[in-house]
Amino acid sequence: MELFAQVLVNGILQGGLYAVMALGLALVWGVLNIVNLAHGAFIMLGGYGSWYLYTYAHIDPFLGLPLTAAVMFALGYALQRGLLNLVIRAPMFNTLLITFGLEVVLTYLAQLVFTADFRTINPPYAGSNLALGPVVLPLARLAAFAVAIALAVGMWLLLLHTRLGRAIRATAQNLVAARLYGVEPRHLYALTFGLGIALAGSAGTLYGTVSQINPYIGAALTAKSFAISIIGGLENPLGVIAGGLFLGIVESLTTLYVGQTFADVASFGTLVLVLVARPGGLLGRAA
Amino acid sequence: MKAWRVALALAALCALAGVPWYGSDVLTQFGINALLLAVLAQGWNIIGGYTGYASFGNSVFYGLGSYGVAIAMVQWHLPFAVGLAFGVVLALVFAFVLGVPVLRLKGHYFAIATLGLSQVMTAIVSNVELAGQNIGLVLPPLNDDAQFYELSLGLLLIATLTVGWLSRSRFGFGLIAIRENEEGAAVMGVNTTLYKVLAFALSGFFSALAGGIHAYWITFLDPESAFDIGLNVKMIIMAVFGGPGTVLGPIVGAFSLSAIAEVLSSEVTSIAGLFFGLVIVTAVVLMPRGLADMLRHLRRTGWRYFLENLRMHRL
Repeated sequence: MELFAQVLVNGILQGGLYAVMALGLALVWGVLNIVNLAHGAFIMLGGYGSWYLYTYAHIDPFLGLPLTAAVMFALGYALQRGLLNLVIRAPMFNTLLITFGLEVVLTYLAQLVFTADFRTINPPYAGSNLALGPVVLPLARLAAFAVAIALAVGMWLLLLHTRLGRAIRATAQNLVAARLYGVEPRHLYALTFGLGIALAGSAGTLYGTVSQINPYIGAALTAKSFAISIIGGLENPLGVIAGGLFLGIVESLTTLYVGQTFADVASFGTLVLVLVARPGGLLGRAA
Repeated sequence: MKAWRVALALAALCALAGVPWYGSDVLTQFGINALLLAVLAQGWNIIGGYTGYASFGNSVFYGLGSYGVAIAMVQWHLPFAVGLAFGVVLALVFAFVLGVPVLRLKGHYFAIATLGLSQVMTAIVSNVELAGQNIGLVLPPLNDDAQFYELSLGLLLIATLTVGWLSRSRFGFGLIAIRENEEGAAVMGVNTTLYKVLAFALSGFFSALAGGIHAYWITFLDPESAFDIGLNVKMIIMAVFGGPGTVLGPIVGAFSLSAIAEVLSSEVTSIAGLFFGLVIVTAVVLMPRGLADMLRHLRRTGWRYFLENLRMHRL
């Protein structure tokens, strides 16, 4: 029972991180209809950003997170404005391909600039734990989880209650109508993509505090973000949080009861089942 | 088709078939790789290019084909041809059993579902004892590159003739109708489910054969390389780079991209991947309908072709 509780908690903590990873992907996908294959590569860049901040400027990753996010936002804005807006109305294959091309470019640039060494952000509290009865909570993971949930809820509030959020949702529903009400799509698309990339960068920061970063982690993280966005649905950030937690728990329970090598069967099997049974996501409306 | 075109095609085929005799070993090996990639791109073309379903599950067919050959030859000591047939059977079973539920999904959702399936297959095969778990299988070597080359060329020829037939058959028109407007196709009397599953299976048939030949040629396989999702992305890029939904586009794409990648990796080893990525990004922006379309229109419109493409898809 203690083991079960510990594994469940580990799954939940991991799930919060998963949620932030998928949040940016779901936002970009839902609003811009771009499936961003480079999403994981942006997570990787965010991780390196925080690693450099911590290693050379001694800025704590959690304090440096806004700075990393801001830089990533600028990068995302520029990419959408300068490049992706050029192909936004092309068929689906083309947007898939261009983001794949971006992924390749980012991965190789990272390999050239950052080298292929594994990096971990190791703040002094990295080894500390918080005991909660028989269950042990690693402090860094707990902090990452808290920030992750805060980011997701913040995103939800932004989409629901601000002018920008309303403009983003209106554009996702009907571009022509949104235009008539004064939304400038080129700017808004760039803002949305920037937000998505900033979220990816933040996820990378959090990822770096609990796991190792290298230039090649992107593809696997993209696949995982896909699974979560689908399980949670694209409509609502809260759905994505639920999807992330769900996947985290499923993975850690599978690892405990069936075996490590079956964790991927569980997560991607769930993905396929959810897709076939409820294409709108577990919490989304039925398609 | 005009007579000179047939003659040209035959001449090109003879030139290709002779490579193992007049070319170097390196060229032959490069050729086997390029030919098999062209088969994969052509196979993807059937489900992706003609039917409009962006399959990320074709690497599963490839992996099943590889494992069919490896299991038959290593575990059961059967001849290569039986292994190929076994691999094809595995791929067809996969296509029919999982194709029916998954092909109900559209657009990105289909793409992601097939991506998920390929991850599941990798993980399952890594746990199957018969398939050597995650260590893999080592096949008996057959050091005869010429034979593998001709086999691959023959397979590409059959795949291309099939797609050529497809492009002018009732079945092929049904697939194109599904791509352009699935509801419309159903209203016009196309049995969309049957057509889609058949297209998926046909595309799987060629991918499995390519996988089987590759496994015997390389003589080693493990789950990671057999079900490599990167290979699936490669097929898509090659088909789309050349021109999806055309008979020769995927071959042009596979050959030209293989050549570009080969030259880059020998000339500028460390930054080859970077250039490859930039080529893809530039190609999507400037020639979104592929090389085949560009060659057709470039003569008439010149550099304005690129401007028109830019204007067409930008916001």
